[in-house]
Amino acid sequence: MVAPTRAPLRTDRLRTVNAPKPVTVDLQESGLMTVGRPDGRTAGHVEAILESWRIDDEWWRQPIARAYLEVMLEGGKRLVLFQDLITGEWFSQMP
Amino acid sequence: MTMARHPTSTLAACVWIPLFPLRCEEARREGLAGFPSALLAPDTTRKLWQVSPLARHTGVKPGMTVSQAIGLCPTLRLLEPDPVHYDEQFAKLLSALTEVSPVVESAELGIAYVGTDGLEGIYGSAEKIVEAIKRTLECWNVGMSEASSFRLGWGVGKFTAWVAASRAKRSEAIVVPIGEEQKFLASQPIAVLPLDPDIHRRLRQLGIRTLGALAALPEEAIAAQFGSVGRRLWLLAAGRITERVVGRITPEPIVAALTFFTPIGERELLIHSLDQLIARALRHPRRIGWRVHALRLRADIEGGGSWLATILLKDPTADGARIAAPLKTRLEQSPPTGAVERLVLEFTAFAPGTSELQLFARDAQAAARAGQQRALQTAAREIRMRIKRSSLYHIIEVQPWSRLPERRYALIDYEP
Repeated sequence: MVAPTRAPLRTDRLRTVNAPKPVTVDLQESGLMTVGRPDGRTAGHVEAILESWRIDDEWWRQPIARAYLEVMLEGGKRLVLFQDLITGEWFSQMP
Repeated sequence: MTMARHPTSTLAACVWIPLFPLRCEEARREGLAGFPSALLAPDTTRKLWQVSPLARHTGVKPGMTVSQAIGLCPTLRLLEPDPVHYDEQFAKLLSALTEVSPVVESAELGIAYVGTDGLEGIYGSAEKIVEAIKRTLECWNVGMSEASSFRLGWGVGKFTAWVAASRAKRSEAIVVPIGEEQKFLASQPIAVLPLDPDIHRRLRQLGIRTLGALAALPEEAIAAQFGSVGRRLWLLAAGRITERVVGRITPEPIVAALTFFTPIGERELLIHSLDQLIARALRHPRRIGWRVHALRLRADIEGGGSWLATILLKDPTADGARIAAPLKTRLEQSPPTGAVERLVLEFTAFAPGTSELQLFARDAQAAARAGQQRALQTAAREIRMRIKRSSLYHIIEVQPWSRLPERRYALIDYEP
């Protein structure tokens, strides 16, 4: 419905705001959780999980199931992550 | 007996340009007319205001939310409204019409009435008068898209003229001969009446489909059912009311003057004084609703002699800076030859601003809005020139209720 953010710029077309950005999440056996960027760089280690919630929507069309986590990284930076429970991929997004 | 303040006319021509704002956009955006398009409402950007016929074919209607409209028509082109531009275009249209008749009344954007009493002495029959209006509209229409074609109606009173215009084909006119109003109106649908949806529904439930059917009922019965509104509707349907076209009187010249205790020769001081005079003249109550078209600046020079600059503004305006610009240029290029004792500014001719949007400095807020829009346009132009692409966006609500954050808002290219 909404044109993707990276679509060529055209007048009169809608562009999405706050589209999910792919990230990698690595959970080690020690319990250390690391968030990485798509280019392989590390965004940071997770210090604490502040909140978690789940969204299930559009089951009548193309089901959407997301597990959201609001985390605090080392240094105090807050980040909202979600895992697409259908594909298993991780994304970051503003709440 | 008192003299009427405004010139009026019983015989009326109605000029109607449907979807006027959308047509203005089509005129300035090449190729837009070939796509389904819609204007966002000026007050709230979540709803559609005007919808092109192509978009209507896909089921998009005014009042829909952006998400509903995009759902129905993914190729829909959404446009930011530019009320100042529409108002300016409409003011130009009114100004053009005053060349045919001095009695011109603006009803709403895209609808204007021209009083034609007495014009038969100049143009001839009603058909000839309508032809003269058509010629004027065709000249005005040059800058507009082909789709912006007008519809014209002529008859006794504004209502008959409006109904005739609403039934006319594109770029054509319907003339209702004098005395045949009732016959003409009888076959028209009740939708041409200024009805609220509730009365419209009730009339249809009563099986009343045409003005003739409504007029055939006793006036008192309609008044008993629908009150004073119903009585007025009955009178309109029966052709018993003749609403006159009420023109506006062009205001007398506005004069603002400044006498200096000590004659001044410095250009900066003169320019400062000029700004003050312009601001004072613009605040004059007689100027409300009018834009300045012609002005004169006079300077009395010490020891006799005078200096005069007469300016005719190409685009009439109520904006102080735009009025001042040509005068300042004149002061720079050929200043007074001596120290100035007295500076007099006169606004000598005016062009109507439209009454609907009241954007032409009816008050300070309106002037500020118009100025703000111009400043935004300039800034956006500069940004585009520097980075070679548009990088300004307007945030619109798409599905603000959505649980998915990326569905709530979207960006649309912003072109002030």
